[in-house]
Amino acid sequence: MKTISAWLLWLWVSLVILGAFYYAPPAEGFQGGSSRILFFHVPMAWASFAGFIAASVWSIRYLMTRDLRHDRAAEVAIQLGLVFGVLATVTGAIWARIEWGAYWNWDPRQTSILISLLFYGAYLALRGAVEDPEKRARLSAAYAILGLVVTPFLYWIMPRLTFSLHPEPVVNAEGKPKMQSEILQVLMASGIGFTALFFWLHNLQTRVQALAERKSAAREQGYGA
Amino acid sequence: MLQATSVLAKPSAWGSAEGWAAEVIAVFVKDWRCEFRTRYALNTLALFALTTMVVMSISLGPIGIDRTRGTKVLPVLLWVILLFSVSAGLPRAFIQEEESQTATALRLSATPSALFCGKLLYCLTLVGALELLVTPVFVTLMNLEVISPALLVGTLAAGGYGLAVGSTLVAAIIAQARTKGTLFSVLAFPVLLPLLLLAVELTFNAVAGGGGGVALPQLLLYDASVTVVGLMLFPVVWNP
Amino acid sequence: MELSGGNTGVVVVNLIIWTGIFLWLLRLNRRIKEMERES
Repeated sequence: MKTISAWLLWLWVSLVILGAFYYAPPAEGFQGGSSRILFFHVPMAWASFAGFIAASVWSIRYLMTRDLRHDRAAEVAIQLGLVFGVLATVTGAIWARIEWGAYWNWDPRQTSILISLLFYGAYLALRGAVEDPEKRARLSAAYAILGLVVTPFLYWIMPRLTFSLHPEPVVNAEGKPKMQSEILQVLMASGIGFTALFFWLHNLQTRVQALAERKSAAREQGYGA
Repeated sequence: MLQATSVLAKPSAWGSAEGWAAEVIAVFVKDWRCEFRTRYALNTLALFALTTMVVMSISLGPIGIDRTRGTKVLPVLLWVILLFSVSAGLPRAFIQEEESQTATALRLSATPSALFCGKLLYCLTLVGALELLVTPVFVTLMNLEVISPALLVGTLAAGGYGLAVGSTLVAAIIAQARTKGTLFSVLAFPVLLPLLLLAVELTFNAVAGGGGGVALPQLLLYDASVTVVGLMLFPVVWNP
Repeated sequence: MELSGGNTGVVVVNLIIWTGIFLWLLRLNRRIKEMERES
């Protein structure tokens, strides 16, 4: 990532931080200024899901090309997706505590992101259980694609179920259609910033892993010679 | 066993619809022949399911769950029993191939799609047998009143199919990894979760009275999607 | 524009944390480039 674009990212996110507190008004019906946490919590969730989609795309590309670089890209995307997902869940729980009084409410979105985290964990567990790089890439790619097919069902089912099976309908009052334009602008800007950050981190991590693999391969060859 | 494999080894059997169907049946027959020798999967499924149900019945009985709460909780318990029994008994379909090293023979002789369908059929019959055992016992033990039995049967069929197809694919994946037992549950649960949610919702409707609603088409769509994805991914998972 | 009392502190802390992370990532980027040039 070129230094100029990096510094542009710095500027962008800094403006988002300023905008979150000075430009966007606090949302109605929320406790004090706590609604501002959404500017960071929501984009992190978006970045996490972007990671899942990216990993699935890279998995498909791996299966078509058998190029292990795609496999590495997929793995890193899931790793980062997990990190961002955990952060999103934690910030969400903090906000839920402030807003609704409890850290966990089985709100549809809370549950959906938790299940996504289970998926990421399962994918990484699978990778940990296979040693051969090509077999590992093949199997985890298949699992990622299976996950991609299955997750949309959760998004259709979840909102319905938590209203019919659970007595207290805790509504996630994000009120998207009613969002004020300033709030929406900062939210979108933050989304862009976090996604850019995600892909920068992805780029760095894939290169680190590539170097590490090259080093251990070189070491093994040294012993073999 | 020998007769079954000889069908698979016939080159003339490949590349034709009858040949493909013969392969599927051959795999299915082989798996059941092996199963009848040891009855391992059947025993595991039955014992696991019965033990769980007895435990549930004892712990719920004395507490005496009242009618309204019972109808909410019991559908969940039914599907928990089915899920856990399946996790205990189904993965062997592929693990035993790898462990007894018959997997290599299968890789050489069987068409992947036929193998997948054969194994799927085998798993389907196992799940069907499991449901046949569990449902009457469960309804009796828990004193469950079912308002629309037709919907219950339909849900068990569609939900059971979903369990089978998802488990078959995940079993194929983990059979080639280490730590197969626990890994199956870890991988299968997120995949099967939408299925379970839909099945529980529909079972609840069957018990409390309420139609299939929008959940039934979604369940059927899930089954179809996983089948298609399974058919596409299985050759990738199976062949090196 | 809203400027409630506690906000300035929070904003400053956030900017410091973000700038710190950012500079660390820049350094990481530089180090990775060097290692890639070596191998």
